[in-house]
Amino acid sequence: MKVLRNAKTCELHGECVMAAPEVFEIEDDKDVVTVINPEPSEELRKAVENAVLMCPTASLQLEG
Amino acid sequence: MTTAKPDVRVLDADTYANGDPATFGLPLDQYSYLRDEEPCYLYEFNDPMLIDQAWVVSRHADIWAVDRNSELYSAASGYVNMWKVTPLDPRVGGKPAMLTMDGEKHRAQRGVMSRAFTPRMVRQLEDKFRGYAVNIVDAALEKGTFNFVTDVGHTMPMEALGDVLGVPRSDRPQFFEWVDTFAAPFDTRITPSFEAVANAIFSLLNYSVELAELKRREPGDDVITQLAQAQDVISEDELMGNVALLASGAAESTRSALSHGMHELMRNPEQMAWLRERADNIPDSAIQEIVRIAAPFTHLVRTATSDHELHGKEIKEGDIVLMLFAAGNFDERVFDEPDTFNLARENNPHLSFGRGLHQCLGKHVASLEMKILLEELLKRTKDIKPAGDIQYVRDAYSRGVYQLPVTITAK
Repeated sequence: MKVLRNAKTCELHGECVMAAPEVFEIEDDKDVVTVINPEPSEELRKAVENAVLMCPTASLQLEG
Repeated sequence: MTTAKPDVRVLDADTYANGDPATFGLPLDQYSYLRDEEPCYLYEFNDPMLIDQAWVVSRHADIWAVDRNSELYSAASGYVNMWKVTPLDPRVGGKPAMLTMDGEKHRAQRGVMSRAFTPRMVRQLEDKFRGYAVNIVDAALEKGTFNFVTDVGHTMPMEALGDVLGVPRSDRPQFFEWVDTFAAPFDTRITPSFEAVANAIFSLLNYSVELAELKRREPGDDVITQLAQAQDVISEDELMGNVALLASGAAESTRSALSHGMHELMRNPEQMAWLRERADNIPDSAIQEIVRIAAPFTHLVRTATSDHELHGKEIKEGDIVLMLFAAGNFDERVFDEPDTFNLARENNPHLSFGRGLHQCLGKHVASLEMKILLEELLKRTKDIKPAGDIQYVRDAYSRGVYQLPVTITAK
């Protein structure tokens, strides 16, 4: 499972950080969300799927 | 399922002024009818202060889709809600703000402000917010019986937003008095005349310019400083518009949510007890359930950018499409037992903050304010009960509570 984030559309809404804090983080002085765990383990699938669904700018994708 | 056709008055101020406290003050039967039978309903307003007509979408999935499709449903036409004139509409002398922009322009403006509102930044405010909550509960305990809306619901968002925006403490009561006046223009108990509305908007816009000048001289760690310093991205007019937007988005809405939430807690003693047991660290599910049933802004609107069909209706370019969030929040296609107030609700993708790129910037701030205030209130009281009937604000956009008399007993 691989997480892709579109830096052109991300607007720091923070929904992904709420849904899957193990995978996403908003770092100081960054304009877009950081994927701290781009290949999360299978047990995080539901949380990551929820992050993808909730992203208001549809900036996240899940592969695999 | 067929439902008998009720008189559809889901955007009539009197519907909400006379709302049934047993159904959250909302016309749930009319919402249900629209979702089931007329999911794209042409609503005629017949009021010179309001837009002429709008296509009302009421199903959760449709509202979500409209909010997510900013190419077909533009926010940049100037309209925000059912009002014909808004302070954010440059065509009528208002000031532009990010809520009335699309695309790159919106992204650039939101980017200036968004970092101050991220979950991590907001968590840093917790100690400050707790201090405000302690003071509010101190004063409430001293009074014993009071109007929850003004004595508890009002102060927290005022102080919290004051901190985030960077409004000096001595200016906050005046600042929020202006906001309150234009947030409820159809309730004569709050706003005596439209002239008062115009004056309040004018005063707030001018004050924001003065404040920006102050912040350029004495920068702070706050949003108005960021707006003031981003002169390459944000013009003076846009600064005024964005301050008005942030202020009106934060003040009335959080107070409404807290007040509707407290009303439901008192109506549902088992839910109050559940929350009281968790007063050391209130779970987010409780806050989001309160925000769902409160639906502090019943709707927002977009403008169609091309002709298209929705549920068999021909929507033309330029038509206004109205996302009735309050109806979507009770859609049984998405929510289990939607008419039940359930603080432990697991699947709760409510629409109160919006779900597209204009999603509420202050959602994390508002959620934290509510969490901390409820924690302090429940920790220090053993009982909270009604001391009179709830009265709602007369408005079909901003779903305020006018009065919620309560009596609290110290632990």
